[in-house]
Amino acid sequence: MKAGSLRNVGIMAALLIAPVAFALSAGGYEQRIMTLAGIYAIAVLGYQLIFGRLGALSLAQGSFFGIGAYTTGLLGIHLDWAFPASFLASLIIPAAIACIIAIPVLRLESHYFALATLGISQIALLVGVNWTEGTGGANGLYGVPPLRILGTALDSSEAMLVVVWCVLASAVLAFSCLVKGRAAHRLTLLREAPEAAVTAGIDIGARRLSLFVASAAFGGAAGALQAHSIGVVSPAVLEFQVMVSILAMTVIGGRGHPAGAILGAVLLVHLPEWFRFLEAHYLVAYGAALLVAVIIMPEGLAGLFRRWLVTQERWAPEPPRTSKPEVPTTLAVLHLVGLCKRYGGVVALDNVSITVVPGEILGLIGPNGSGKSTLINVASGLQTLDAGEIRLGNLDLTGMPAHGRARVGLSRTFQTPVQALGLSPLESVLAACPAGLDERRAERHAAACLSAAGLTAPAVPTTSLSPAEARRLDLARALASGPAVLLLDEPAAGLTPAERDDLACCLKHLTDSGLGLLLVDHTMDFLLPLADRVICLATGSVVAEGPPSMVARDPAAIAAYFGEPPP
Amino acid sequence: MSAPLLSIEALTLNPGGNPILHGLSVTLKVGGSLAILGANGAGKSSLLRAVMGLEQPEAGRVLLDGQDLVTTRARDRAALGIGFCPEGRRLFPGLTVEETLAVGFVGPTRQRRMRIDEMLDMFPALAGKRRDRAWSLSGGQQQMLAIARAIMNQPRLVLLDEPTLGLAPMIIDEVLDIIRTITATGTGVLLAEQNVGPALRVAEDVIVLVRGSSVHTGPARALSPSQAAKLMLSSG
Amino acid sequence: MGASIPQLLVNGVALGAAYALIALGFVLVINAVGVVMAGGFVAVTITEYLTPWANDNLPDLAFIGPRASAVGLGLVILPLTMVVMAVLGLLFSALAYAPLRHRPPVSVFISTIAVGLILQHGANAVFGPEPRVGPPLVVDGNFALGPITLSIQQLSVIFAAGCLITGTGLLLSRSQLGRQLRAVAQDPEMAEAIGISAGHCIAITFALAVALAGSAGMLLSNQFFVAPSDGGLFMLKAYIAVTVGGWGRLDGAAFAALLIGVFEVMMAAFVSYVMAEALLYAGVLLVLLVRPSGLLRETIQRRT
Repeated sequence: MKAGSLRNVGIMAALLIAPVAFALSAGGYEQRIMTLAGIYAIAVLGYQLIFGRLGALSLAQGSFFGIGAYTTGLLGIHLDWAFPASFLASLIIPAAIACIIAIPVLRLESHYFALATLGISQIALLVGVNWTEGTGGANGLYGVPPLRILGTALDSSEAMLVVVWCVLASAVLAFSCLVKGRAAHRLTLLREAPEAAVTAGIDIGARRLSLFVASAAFGGAAGALQAHSIGVVSPAVLEFQVMVSILAMTVIGGRGHPAGAILGAVLLVHLPEWFRFLEAHYLVAYGAALLVAVIIMPEGLAGLFRRWLVTQERWAPEPPRTSKPEVPTTLAVLHLVGLCKRYGGVVALDNVSITVVPGEILGLIGPNGSGKSTLINVASGLQTLDAGEIRLGNLDLTGMPAHGRARVGLSRTFQTPVQALGLSPLESVLAACPAGLDERRAERHAAACLSAAGLTAPAVPTTSLSPAEARRLDLARALASGPAVLLLDEPAAGLTPAERDDLACCLKHLTDSGLGLLLVDHTMDFLLPLADRVICLATGSVVAEGPPSMVARDPAAIAAYFGEPPP
Repeated sequence: MSAPLLSIEALTLNPGGNPILHGLSVTLKVGGSLAILGANGAGKSSLLRAVMGLEQPEAGRVLLDGQDLVTTRARDRAALGIGFCPEGRRLFPGLTVEETLAVGFVGPTRQRRMRIDEMLDMFPALAGKRRDRAWSLSGGQQQMLAIARAIMNQPRLVLLDEPTLGLAPMIIDEVLDIIRTITATGTGVLLAEQNVGPALRVAEDVIVLVRGSSVHTGPARALSPSQAAKLMLSSG
Repeated sequence: MGASIPQLLVNGVALGAAYALIALGFVLVINAVGVVMAGGFVAVTITEYLTPWANDNLPDLAFIGPRASAVGLGLVILPLTMVVMAVLGLLFSALAYAPLRHRPPVSVFISTIAVGLILQHGANAVFGPEPRVGPPLVVDGNFALGPITLSIQQLSVIFAAGCLITGTGLLLSRSQLGRQLRAVAQDPEMAEAIGISAGHCIAITFALAVALAGSAGMLLSNQFFVAPSDGGLFMLKAYIAVTVGGWGRLDGAAFAALLIGVFEVMMAAFVSYVMAEALLYAGVLLVLLVRPSGLLRETIQRRT
């Protein structure tokens, strides 16, 4: 086990044991408060999956908590179900509900997603308050039986405390399993550089679904424990206040690391106690604490201690021993046929048709505003087409979402390299590797991509990469999905002549295995000697096409580019 | 020799850690017009943005009529008489032509209305488009509107960043005519361009930038377009 | 209440008009700074306290003339409330937005909730937790239009809300300030480059938004008994109106809010309040399903 991971485990163990030890020595009242803190920590842990890791603002976590509580209550009171059956049901039912509502809701943009989850939580509250026969209406359910393990009822405050924190410990374990290794890297990439993630083949919809369902299960578990703990389930567990508390704990504790869940929950559950002298107005202090935390601690309490919580692995991979690629390149012809795109009154692409064959470097030149960037955006799927077709080999990509195109062999780089600063270069490339590869092969593949892109020091943290190295990283990431055709958006901009020569060598090498390149650039010294064929775009149309030397002398190209009227 | 309108001294700019300009010095005389030629990434836009106050330089000074602008915010520089027509035009999509012209104008309503009428006369492409929203205009019309917006307050200095970007040759000629009209009124013009031919036709002086440094300065008529293009697109 | 259809319609439009005021404020802030001012609902609940308090503590209008004392202080309290709320809006801008303007929008979402909590419970502390009924805008009583009896209060609410909404619309479309607010909302850096102070415009936008929400609270205070927790409900209705009406569109938001108000009152009268709420949320979810939105569109918005 690596040293960093051991330290992580040690810290988490301390965070799990210390509060319990403290409460056990402090008496019944403190034990009940700490039990509540543990319960909330479980709910917050679940929230960290969808909100913290993925950055999706779900407002339904409080409802999953409430649904779990009602499930346990109803099963316990009416059907005499006990632990673990009722507990499992409290995990499954919220998860199932999450699954049903998720599929339509998860593909929404963030504010729609938040609204949809808010709407769902309101419906849950309405049902809770008004379905008197089922949920007891406004009065709620009384007499929820205490937790029973192996026949013994655990109704003392010490017993509940220990049980809850043991469940929390398992929740932390479950969390780590869900979000480890390359899955974690993919989530960070998705959160910090969504365009890069999407064009590397990461399906945001699938991720959101799995994490949303998982977060619901965590919320349900917390609610179930709450029901056992106080023996009563009232509609208050479904109110928006619960959601606000969970959100506050996540933000103040730190949304990225399980330690944050524990810190946030313990702190905010104790806050009303500390502000007890303010009586009913402790919420003013609560609000003030939340405001201050959001402003001065963007990464929460856990963020303050980040140095001690290792998040980045820094080791250099061995160079690949064999030259056989882990992810074989397929060969395919890219056909862009009759592409049309306008923005309001401005025509960006006017019936543009381009073909890229395997092993070819096709240069695309043209003045700014001629449509080159739009072409790449439309081909990679980041922007929609008004008309036209995109085919890769036999596949029709025209309606396919961007992540799908990456998976079938169409990759791209970005004009301004997009980076996920929270990932090391190796991790960034790993995130882009196909999910099916096992750990070893993925690492070898990532190393191969990095060296193919010419990045020789992948152990350097991403924040200190020079602009040229950042471009190499972008290229390495684009190679990770094993593309047949690669679209390069101004890779040579801002490079010194020596760096440009290196890059040209590197790109030529890549085409040896049959990779097709569409290369957009302005630097003629770089592009003309490198390209096999060149196309010149101006005001959205192709004005010249042919071998580089011919296009460079073509009057229409010269006129478009240099603004001189043709002779 | 009268004092220059604009004096840029040893300007060094590293936005976001990327070195863009290296100790660049440029002067523009009152009523003069200077073309700044360079390929993408050469630093033309950054230079104009620094003059406007949208980028803070690491070192060096920007002086307008001898006044050091170091502590002056962008909106105060606009008030001092700098008009800005940025790359990509950056019109307010939801505002109509009339509103776009009105929104930055300083002065009483009557004067504003008169000035807007003047602009619509000066830019025939916009005639009859008063109430049309900016996003619905064609590329050429949008460019005209962006330039008109920049000169609404009759500035002393106008910064034009790639005004011929993506325009058909005929429209480019119209833009050049407008620029000539502007210089004829005694307004200083800083024109950043990749489009060599038009820039050299309309400006008095030229400076060629490669990777943040000047590789050539001098009168525009002494430099041919192909020479300029060669300089611009080379490694420098 | 055994009310007739025209009465219900009037009630619905009045409620919807109040929702529209809140929604309008929401959209203004969304357009200006791209964030959902989640805590803004506090303006509604605070005015529910402020209005009765002002009614009790301000001198009545008898000094104007003998007829005046028959009219309540409502017409005076409304502008006063809006001024106080505008100041609150500036507070929101300074505390919740300004320190976080370079952070992702979700941080501001949270900070507005935080400021909302502070203000809400601060108000509880000052005024006491029991909201009371506020004065009518003009007078109590009913007004007979042929066979139909309509409440004067509801009609005045509709009229006042209509004036405020129209006034806001005119401010934005016809005045120089309005043009500047819109320019800053669309491109703050470019607005600065032509001499407009983006910071001032954003603060004014917040002030206007909270003042509008506050006016809704005042107009509702005579009719509805609003508890502090209901603030969230108002926020949700406004959020729905803004989303269904077209994200960022003022006219769409106002219109959708009106529809929500009418729908709620009609449904509540013919079926039940609970059913009305449930159908509303279900309806919203349906609308969201039909919308072809996704991650990519939002990303592109940021780039171009």
